[in-house]
Amino acid sequence: MAFTRVVAAAALCAAAISVAPLAAHHSAAMFDDEKVLELNGTIKEVQWTNPHIWIQVVVDNNGQKTEWSLEGGSPNSLSRNGWRVTTFKAGDAVTVRLNPMKDGSAAGSFIGAKWKDTGKTIGRWE
Amino acid sequence: MRTALLAVAACALAIAVAAGQASKPAPPALPDWSGVWQMVGPTVFDRASVQPQNGRAGDVGVREYPPYTDEYEAIYKKNIERIKAGTFPDPISVCGVPHGFPRIMNVPDVYEFAITPAATYVLAENGPGILRVYTDGRKHPPAEELWGTYTGASVGRWEGDTLVFETVGLKGARDNDVIVDRTGLVLSDKSRVTTRMRKINDTMLEAQLVVEDAKALKAPWKVSKQYRKMPAGTWAWDYGCAENNRNPISGSGKTLTLGPDGKPLDKKVE
Repeated sequence: MAFTRVVAAAALCAAAISVAPLAAHHSAAMFDDEKVLELNGTIKEVQWTNPHIWIQVVVDNNGQKTEWSLEGGSPNSLSRNGWRVTTFKAGDAVTVRLNPMKDGSAAGSFIGAKWKDTGKTIGRWE
Repeated sequence: MRTALLAVAACALAIAVAAGQASKPAPPALPDWSGVWQMVGPTVFDRASVQPQNGRAGDVGVREYPPYTDEYEAIYKKNIERIKAGTFPDPISVCGVPHGFPRIMNVPDVYEFAITPAATYVLAENGPGILRVYTDGRKHPPAEELWGTYTGASVGRWEGDTLVFETVGLKGARDNDVIVDRTGLVLSDKSRVTTRMRKINDTMLEAQLVVEDAKALKAPWKVSKQYRKMPAGTWAWDYGCAENNRNPISGSGKTLTLGPDGKPLDKKVE
């Protein structure tokens, strides 16, 4: 059962804000870094590309499926921090956290993820 | 007798060659800046003056305080307003232009520094980002041979273990495609920078920059950047910015976010 919710916990927001931003090649004005959105979904695809990786996550909300685009850092910097091209596999069931787009579009800046089956986490997850 | 004379001649020649070699001064030892390095801190150019402290470049309300002339303070304030409106694009978002100088000293990801007797190369992974500093004794090109470029023309010298170089011929904000950082800082095509780079210890490099700009600055602007050595064996990779750029710039200057189908996800595109 997938669901979405806004996590308003101040501690979570503070953690998201205090960590250095992604090595973005663009302005982050489109993301709401005051808000952390948590989604349960399934990995559709990871685009392991410069200047950013993109994690495509399909969220099934009572039969209504929405594909979310989550922007990560560059593969260069992520690979130096333990990420691999195989870190996420299509079909992985995950909970992901992101700073969503301010305009409500189905996209955001990736914060962290937790795998449903193993409980393993990646990124910032407290 | 003939053999003995030949032997004496050979010895004399050998001594002469050895003496000639001994009289040549040994080239000065160049410092070892090998390895992969990462800039310390966020991409705010002048961390000493940024407000609020620890503010991030590009966030609304964050600014620095260079000794700007009234004209350039007004330009900076205008850029800050555009950031508030979400219409101040980073020129590198189009994946076509270099960061330029001095911004190349202030980028994320990692650096390598290649030192040869004739030149030192600053290689920024996040790029395209190469700064060439010639140390072969040349002078800057005469004015009639210079035109404004992103990284300009840098010539330098070694003062002990410190690389001192001066950079001129910068295009600055002339074509609106070079910024100093994402808070909206810009310099003019009259900018010139004197940089002193040295290794502080085995794991830290420092670059002290003095920026002068007859149009944009009332006084020299001193900025210091540090770089920390990453663990041995760290890799730097190529950075093909155009490989999958899902953040193009709209006509109004807004940074868009494309979906996997290449169409904007943004609800409003101007």
